[in-house]
This record gives sequence, C-alpha cells and structure tokens, in this order.
Amino acid sequence: MPTVTIDDIQVEVEQGATILDAANKAGVWIPTLCHHPAVTPQATCRICMVELDRGEWKQLVTACNYPVRRDITVSVSGDNAVKARRGVMEFMLARAPDNEQLKAIAGRMGVDSTPWPTVTVAQRDCILCGLCTAVCDEVLGLAAIGFSGRGVDRAVAAPFRQAPDDCIACGACQAVCPVGTIQLRLHEDTDEIEISPFKARAKLRKCEQCGARVVSEPTAAEALKNVNVDWEKIRNLAKLCPKCRRIRAAESLAATASGTPTKEMTR
Amino acid sequence: MIQASGQQLGSASDLEAIRDRLGKQRSDDAKCVRICIGTGCAAKGSRKLYELFTKAVEETDTKVEAVTCVGCHGFCERGPIVVIQPGNVFYQRVEEPDVVEIFRETVIGGRVVERLLYEDPDTGDKAATCDEIPFYRVQERIVLAHNGEIDPTSIEEYIAVGGYAALAKALTTMAPEEVLEEVDRSGLRGRGGGGFSTARKWRSCRKAPGDPKYVICNGDEGDPGAFMDRSIMEGNPHSVIEGMIIGAYAIGSSRGYIYVRNEYPLAVVHLKGAIDDARAMGLLGENILGTGFSFDIRINRGGGAFVCGESTALMASLEGRPGEPRAKYVHTVESGLHARPTNLNNAETWANVPAIINRGGDWFASIGTEGSKGTKVFSLVGQVVNTGLVEVPMGITLRRIIEEIGGGVKEGGTFKAVQTGGPSGGCIPAEHLDTRVDFDELTKLGSMMGSGGMIVMDQNSCMVNVARYFLNFLREESCGKCTPCREGLAQMLHILDRITHGKGQQGDVEKLEQLAELLEVTALCALGKTAANPVLSTIRYFRDEYDAHINDARCPAKECRGLFRYKIDEDECKACGICLKECPADAITGEKKVPHVIDQEKCTLCGMCWDKCPFAAVLKV
Repeated sequence: MPTVTIDDIQVEVEQGATILDAANKAGVWIPTLCHHPAVTPQATCRICMVELDRGEWKQLVTACNYPVRRDITVSVSGDNAVKARRGVMEFMLARAPDNEQLKAIAGRMGVDSTPWPTVTVAQRDCILCGLCTAVCDEVLGLAAIGFSGRGVDRAVAAPFRQAPDDCIACGACQAVCPVGTIQLRLHEDTDEIEISPFKARAKLRKCEQCGARVVSEPTAAEALKNVNVDWEKIRNLAKLCPKCRRIRAAESLAATASGTPTKEMTR
Repeated sequence: MIQASGQQLGSASDLEAIRDRLGKQRSDDAKCVRICIGTGCAAKGSRKLYELFTKAVEETDTKVEAVTCVGCHGFCERGPIVVIQPGNVFYQRVEEPDVVEIFRETVIGGRVVERLLYEDPDTGDKAATCDEIPFYRVQERIVLAHNGEIDPTSIEEYIAVGGYAALAKALTTMAPEEVLEEVDRSGLRGRGGGGFSTARKWRSCRKAPGDPKYVICNGDEGDPGAFMDRSIMEGNPHSVIEGMIIGAYAIGSSRGYIYVRNEYPLAVVHLKGAIDDARAMGLLGENILGTGFSFDIRINRGGGAFVCGESTALMASLEGRPGEPRAKYVHTVESGLHARPTNLNNAETWANVPAIINRGGDWFASIGTEGSKGTKVFSLVGQVVNTGLVEVPMGITLRRIIEEIGGGVKEGGTFKAVQTGGPSGGCIPAEHLDTRVDFDELTKLGSMMGSGGMIVMDQNSCMVNVARYFLNFLREESCGKCTPCREGLAQMLHILDRITHGKGQQGDVEKLEQLAELLEVTALCALGKTAANPVLSTIRYFRDEYDAHINDARCPAKECRGLFRYKIDEDECKACGICLKECPADAITGEKKVPHVIDQEKCTLCGMCWDKCPFAAVLKV
C-alpha cells in the first residue's frame, strides 16, 4: 500500500485511493464542494487544490480525484496550495456573494471577502459543481437534469428548460447540493412536491393510516421496481409513513408473540 | 488514368505492380490541368474554373490526360491557382474569362500566358513555375509535398506518387518495435500544440495494458486563422490515413477514429472517400496487404466546439458525451477512449509518419534544430503580403517566414507583432523576429508553437485589443466545467473590456497578472491553463500600450473606439464632400473649396469618413 505524506503526517492508503481519502484518514481538512462519496469525483469546483511534491518539481492537483499510485508527498497548508484554494474561493464568492453555505466554508478557509466583482450570472447561487446532475445520472440512472449551455452560460437544467418527464421528484439533487440552489417545495393545495428550480412536480403519497405525506408517488414506484420482490407485505408497508410502519410492525410482532396471526401476516 | 481502386491488393508486390502501371501513365509530358480547390481558391470560384476546363476539353476534343481538382498549394493570396502540365506552368489569380485563353494558348498551343504568371513585386520578374517564386523557394515541403499535385479524391494518384509505400515497408519489413525506433530517431514531436514526443507517446500506449487500443487523428482544428490540418485533410487525406495505419501497427491497435470538425465539409468528404478507397483496395480493414495486420478507421464529425480539440474532451465527444475535458492524472495512453489505451495525434503529425518511414528517422532528424526536428506547417495570415499555407524547416527565423515567404507587411505598414500558437499562444514583437522557430524557443518568449497559426500584425493593431479578442474567444469557447476557467476568464475579460473602453483603473495590469497566474495552476485543462498567454505576452512586450489606455485613456494604435478622435487634415482635404454626405451623424460641415471640419461634439466615432475619404485626409488623432 502506498504511503501518502500529508503535511508531515504519514498514512497508508489503498492503491488508487485519492489524496482526499488519504487526507481524511490523516485527519487533515481539505475543503470540498463538488465532492460527494455517492458519485465519481467531479473535480469541477477546484477548491480542493493541494500541492504535490515530486522532488524535482511541484504541481498543484485536485485532491478529490488525484489517484495515489505510489508513495507521494502532498502539501495542504503550503503557501501555493493555500493561495490556489483562496483564489478559487474568491471566484466562487464573486459568483454567489451572499450564499451562506459558501461563506461558511470560506470562513473556515480564512477567506472573508472577494476582490472580484460579480460578472457571471448564477441561478440562485449555483456554482455548477455538477453533484446534482451526477447523482441523478449515476445513482438514480435517470439523468432528468443535466448541463445546458457552455462557459458562462452553463446552467443546470432539464431538457429545453421544461418540467422534466424523467424526474421522479426524489429530492436527491436537493440533498447533495452544497449551496442550497435546489429546493423542495410543498404544494399543500394539490399535495404535490416540486423540485425547484426545475419545475418538476409529483403527487405525494399519503400514509394510509395517518395521512402524513411520505414520498413522491413516482419515487415509491421506482423504489419498489428496484426491490424486485413481489411480496405484498412490502407493497402494503410502502403505503405507510415510517412512523405508522413501525407501529404496524410492533403490532404484528406482538400478535405473533400472543399466537394470533394478524391480518397483515396472512396476506 | 487507369482505374485501380477496388482492386484487392493481396501483397506488397501487388501494390508495387499497380504503382508501376500508374507511374507510366503519369509522365511529365502528359497534358494535365490542375485546379486548386483548397478553401481559399474555392472561395474565389475555382470550382467554376474546373467546370469550364472540363467543358473545354469535351467541346474541343483535345487530347488532355486529365483535368483534376487538387488540394491547397498554399499561396492562397494569389488564388485561384491553375497549374498546367507539361511545364508546370503556374497561373495565379485566374478568373473565368481566362480559361479560354489558357486553354487555347497553353493547353493546345504550349505557349505561356504571360499576364497570368506571378510577378515579383520588387524585380518585376515573371515566374513561370512555382519554383521560381520566393514564396515557395524558402519552403521545404514534406507534409505538403504532394498537396496541389495530386487529386485528393483519387487513390491512384496517391499511389502513383509513392503513396502507401511506407505502409508496405513497415508491414512487410519492420517489426512494430522497429517502427517505434524509426519514429524515435526522427525526433518527431506532436504538431497539435503540446509538442510531446510522438515516439514516447506511441511507446507508452503500446506498453499500456488493455484491449482494444485506439488511435485517433485530431482534426478538430479551431484556432482563429489556422487551416493547416484542414488543408492536409482536404488536399492529401491518404497521407493522414497511411500515417495512422503505420502508427496503429507500431502501437498494436486495430481501431482508429478521425475526429474532424463538421465545418470542414470538404475534409469530411475527402477523408471518407479516401477511407472507402483504401478499404476497397485492402489497404485498410482486415488483413492489410496480406500481412495479417488488421486496422480500420471511422470518421466522427465534431460539432465545432473549440474545446473538443483537447484530447480528453475529444474522447468524451467520441463516446457520445458532451465534449468536456477531464483530469489527465491518468494519461490517455493508459486510459483514454472507453477507458482503453488511446493514442491521439493531430492530422499533421500523422501526415509526417509516411515520409519518416520511407526516408528514415535520421533523414528527418537532419532537418530542424536540436529539440525540434523536421518541418512545420504554418498558416501565415493577417497583415502580410503573401497570406497562405507555408511549410518550413524548424529553426528558420520568424523574420524569414514573414519577410521572405510572406513578402513583408501589407501596404507598406510597419511590423508590430506576430501572434503564434493561437489563443494559447502569445504575441512576439519585432525585437524577437530573429528567433528561430522551435518548440522551446517560442515557449521561452511567452508564446508557443501551437498548431501553427501565425497572425502578422502591423502598427494599426492595438495589442490590448488583440489580447481582449483572444480572451473573448476563449471565454465563449470555455466549456464552463471548472470554476477558474469559467469565472477567471470572465473576470479577465471584464478588466480588459474596461481598459479598452478607456475606463481602466490603476492596478488593472497587476490584477490581470494575478488572475493569469491563478488560472495557470488551477484550471482543469490546457484551454484554461494557457488562456492567459495572449494577455501575459502583450503585457510583457507592450506594457506601454496598457499604460496609455489606463493612464491617459488613449489607444496608441488608434483601434479602440472612443480612445482617439477623427480629424480632417486641412492640407489634404480636397473638399469633395464625400465624407460630408456619408456622415450618418451630420457631424461634418464644409463647402466647396473649403476644407471640411468634423464637429467633435456630434461625432459618434463611427469611422465612416475615414473609410470613405479618397484622399486619406481623415486622420485618427
């Protein structure tokens, strides 16, 4: 196993692990925005730049996707690495100056303002990290959203900027978004959930028992499709909210203990 | 010409037998009319000339061996170009009415039409053949050797001039390792911009585990003002294909792709035809020349995104994904297209390979400098007398290219700078004109060889505006995937915009340098990493122009609108009234015999008076 020396801390990592993996193991913080363990490294935000010391020369690389293939020495706190990360963060802050999440990370990095004016238009502070599109594509296998346009016109959007047909309103994109661009909106009147800003809407499944809103209908359908077990019990449990599901399970256990088969179990 | 295409060549001797037969038909005495249909000449109507010549042959029943369309001669400034055999008579700027005369005098009569020959602007001497023209005399043609000589749609003509001999030699007499050694000895470096050793790349790809291996020809040339690869693909497509087959043999690949941008329709057609012809003759596909080696090529047309010229973006595009680059921490020779070992070279690099195999790596290495061997094709454009495509030995000075081949600056202007290397390159000023053209020398000057664009600029070019132009180009072509390129270029353009509008602030130059440095180390791909070169090189050599813009809101080259005024020279003004009539703002007053005056309050600086004045009496001040 190759050894990574990060700021004088030595850790061993698997062949092919990233510098970020090594840093996590060594307990060294490297800021990340476009990184999420659920998807392949994007390496788009460039906030995780560290300096690789190759002896004869040094090179700035992104920690999130640089594969460790032999023993390497990496500087996270060196001047060059800090300067590069600061520079990238200043670009981000210029793009989305009022974003709280961004400011929090910037604060931790010791960057409290940006010298640059806002020259690119960000859709609700979007920093175009690509996590939402990656999770929709790689994890859900749907690719309901993607990138449109290029350069400064690049934006995350559904095809033709219409409400996407493929979206199941699962909310994964919202969960991984590091800057809060994507939001879930509840429409009480129609019992619908909306993934904003993509205009995707879906009916919410209500708990048969208590009426609580559980999950979007297409997400439940998709989940059951993936389970691939034609077991009526699971289908029925899926109609309940987690709370009622627990109650039902407890009841069923109690009934089994007392020897009386419940209606649920005989189905 | 006998038809050879479609005949299956079962062995190298079959190929030689066909070449023999074809060669006999191609004697120097045969009457031939060759019309250039390269992009420059075609734009000036050379297709029509071809039709007229063909019609003339049919109607007069003259015995003419061939009327053929040929690829770019390079002397685009003087197009359309028609060459008549026998005698290699070189006619330039041929127009439709000239066809009858050329046909009557030269083709039938064997006499030369003096007025259509190239005339040396200094001596007034007429040049009957292209060898006598200074533009060609300084050049050394390896890649372009047969451009303008053969019909790019005919595999027979390519074979007749020695085509596919290198392939036969490599496949039948050399082991893949020997091919690699030959290329290694030649010292060939990639012609696409990076200048990486071709042999090293091939060797790494050969060694890399994985199957299949791919070879790719990068024909996604996108630099403004560059058309080297275009002319090679259009004018001699077989040379690229032959190079690729030899490369594939050395690397151990069975599949190849040519990625050519769709804006090069003629290149697409010619390459497609060439691939079909080569396949039909057994030079491509299964069991090439009966040697058991199999390799085939597919063409993919690019949508025209500049960034697709970057190798990883190109491969993404080939895979059907958006053309965006990825990190190259694992090189493409190990994991490229479909995560397989992939060797990518540009069209010009591939086209060099057959000559190296035919004549040997030592011969190739005898041309050029210590670190840069062979020749390089440049597209010489801008404010230069002879614009066109030139191939020169490495190590020639910029001065010889621009002054001897290019004929100096147009319209008696003064040379200011030459931009090499496209948007990733830089501007080289007059004091460095004696620099030798070499990968490393150009890099030392803050520019680069790039793929071979060479834009000559005179005193009327504002260097700040040039930097702004290239930066704007890159900002529009940036894919936007990584933060530094997307945001950094927008920030730099924002600063350059205000400088060229006379609103520059103190410290702007330092800010540009700071941004440039950041971009170089943090951007994802070469597009962003090198994007600041035009800005850095102009700051390095033309700092005074930046200062004039920022400190005095003045554009020394008088190009940036608003940073100079128009004024009528009283002594030169003939009071003709043209400017007065043309001025859309009614800002010019004057009467007959009284010099006209521009009302600076009303003037919108549109420049109409300056354009229209027949006496050059309108001045920029």
